[in-house]
Amino acid sequence: MANGNVGKVTQVIGSTLDAEFPEDQLPSIYNALKIDIERTILDETVQETLWCEVAQHLGGGQLRAVALGSTDGLRRGAPIYDTGKSVTVPVGDDTLGRVFNLVGEPIDGLGPVNIETRREIHQQPPTLDNISAKTELFETGIKVIDLLCPLVRGGKAGLFGGAGVGKTVIIQELIARLARFHRGYSCFAGVGERTREGNDLWLEMQEAQIGDTGKSVIDQTVMVFGQMNEPPGARLRVALSALTMAEHFRDTTGADTLLFVDNIFRFSQAGSEVSALLGRMPSAVGYQPTLGTEMGELQERITSTSQGAVTSIQAIYVPADDYTDPAPATAFTHLDSTVNLERGIAEKGIYPAVDPLASSSRIVAPEYIGERHYAVARQVQQILQRYKDLQDIIAILGVDELNEQDKAIVARARKIEKFLSQPFFVAEQFTGFAGNYTKREDTIRSFEELCEGKWDHLPEQAFMYVGGIEEAAAKAEELAKE
Amino acid sequence: MANRRVLIKRRKAVRNIRKITRTMQLIATARFQAAFTRAIATKPYSEKLAELVADLSKAAEGVDHPLMHAAEGIGRSAMVIITSNRGLCGGYNSNVLRTAVEHLDRAKETGLDTEVHMVGKKGISYFKFLGREMVERITHIDDAPKFEQIEPIANYLMGQFVRGEIASVHVAYMKFISTGRQQPEIMQLLPLAQDEQADADEASTGGGEAETQYEFSPEPKQLLEELLPATVRTQLFQCFTDATVSEQIARMVAMKAATDAAEDMITTLTRQYNRARQTQITMELLDIVGGANALT
Repeated sequence: MANGNVGKVTQVIGSTLDAEFPEDQLPSIYNALKIDIERTILDETVQETLWCEVAQHLGGGQLRAVALGSTDGLRRGAPIYDTGKSVTVPVGDDTLGRVFNLVGEPIDGLGPVNIETRREIHQQPPTLDNISAKTELFETGIKVIDLLCPLVRGGKAGLFGGAGVGKTVIIQELIARLARFHRGYSCFAGVGERTREGNDLWLEMQEAQIGDTGKSVIDQTVMVFGQMNEPPGARLRVALSALTMAEHFRDTTGADTLLFVDNIFRFSQAGSEVSALLGRMPSAVGYQPTLGTEMGELQERITSTSQGAVTSIQAIYVPADDYTDPAPATAFTHLDSTVNLERGIAEKGIYPAVDPLASSSRIVAPEYIGERHYAVARQVQQILQRYKDLQDIIAILGVDELNEQDKAIVARARKIEKFLSQPFFVAEQFTGFAGNYTKREDTIRSFEELCEGKWDHLPEQAFMYVGGIEEAAAKAEELAKE
Repeated sequence: MANRRVLIKRRKAVRNIRKITRTMQLIATARFQAAFTRAIATKPYSEKLAELVADLSKAAEGVDHPLMHAAEGIGRSAMVIITSNRGLCGGYNSNVLRTAVEHLDRAKETGLDTEVHMVGKKGISYFKFLGREMVERITHIDDAPKFEQIEPIANYLMGQFVRGEIASVHVAYMKFISTGRQQPEIMQLLPLAQDEQADADEASTGGGEAETQYEFSPEPKQLLEELLPATVRTQLFQCFTDATVSEQIARMVAMKAATDAAEDMITTLTRQYNRARQTQITMELLDIVGGANALT
């Protein structure tokens, strides 16, 4: 693997380090470097390999590199080997069902993987003429998403939300819904989130079956983790590793590939940590000056090409619920569909806590989703917008002061708001409601009738956690009996 | 941060609303005093009159009057619904209207078509929204109803009743019981009820007492001819005065609640604004300090 270039570590600062190479054999930027470290853990000496990535050339044979693992036990003067290319990960069918770290080492304890095909994690994004122009709706069976911010097959969707509003739950739900009925491959990138969640997901995927094929979801899935415990360099690159594996499936098999990333914000955050260690001057709100570039390099590669489609679903943490924060703001522009999760809605006990007014999708237009769907979606938003506008008046003067039309709108809006909730498959053991899949056709019809006022007579409570409108009617009957 | 400017604007708007609601509360209080005095002032007269009529009709047994009996087999009746011309009085109008509509629907089920005489703009617009019929729309009666304004309405209804065009007349209004209590009520104006409740009361309390003996001059029939219509008019007038008092009370309460709610909202908005301002200052400071440090 190595091309024989050997250097020496000259300085270690946190998770960045400087090394000296002969001036004419300087490793290129993004080249992977290898250091053998001897660590003593509980009186036992272990040999480990530390991977680094060249980030800057400092002149005079000096270079600065980002460590992709822990620098514990590293010493000045240690020999450092150039591999001659950037970090590579194993790709192909043999990776399916396995869990990797960012440098492609299996971490699921199922033994080593013998895969010869490897691919570098730094790649060029597909060229302009290669990009597929298909636009097709990707049904999820979640009412609020299908109606107001439908996912695009081969497109990118972002789940924005502050801490604890249910991003990870929705990601897991989408994995459960999409991967289960999905014929292609799935890749999951765990970026800087809780290791426990990664473990939960792994176990869950082993149990879940794909359709009625008898195969587990995990058999069609690759997982790559660089969670919170990893140093920033690892969290910065792990998304690329997963993406590289997904790209391979796209380019060689042509099958539809799903790429889940939880959480893109951690990628930006890791970038900011690395940036500070590299001595770059911080930019707005303390983020790295290269925030937009880094995001662009990652996002532009998540694209459907003429060879195959990659549909990606990304969770994006919004620090302090502030959507103007540079990290979520830079991610916004890359997405086809944005699903905003709102704390106020979660506080009302409505899950998924999707903000129906702030969420949107590129394909909410008559030419993509049809006149009827478009009209219903707009009408729902209009009613909810009117309700929002009236909220201050209601708060001060009370509902009695509204005129009759507005009163009817408010009543309807409150029902719509509740009807946007839906029981999840992955939350069955918490909510006690069985998961529900509502077909898009039913969703549209239900909301259409609701907007027309056909169901004004049902009590509000009947609209909570049901599927189609008929279920709401059934629930109303049940409530009436009690 | 655009957020801050939005908060300032909202707070200003809420402050203005609070100013208005507080003023309206004060005005309503003043108007309530006036209306209350009027309602109290007419009460002794109408009560005495009702008493007198009750006594008379009992004393003059066998005397019949067209205002006391409904003609048989008429499928129509009338209802006067008293609402306000102005809004911002909480649930006052909707309470009256809800009670009235319930009554109308019940009458409809028994096969009685009701002609609605709607008083007040609020009721008119509500019925328009529901798409219900109104035979008369009255908007000229305001905070201080005058007897001359009520009289024609009463006369018209009595005329219809006597001619046998309608079977009954009801009034839906907000009954003023005390300053703390008003409730929507449907009162039967015509046919004049033989006050059985009052009779029973009298029987239980003063059963042993000798009843007042009346000597009639002129004849009882002639007397009642004069007195009964007067009772109807006074009763209707009393409904109107009751309604105005109730309206002012409702407005007072609603505006008090609105002012309080506005105050709470201002507190919340101020807190949000302060927090946003503090955040911005901290952020700017951090940027400046960070930049300065990076340069040195």
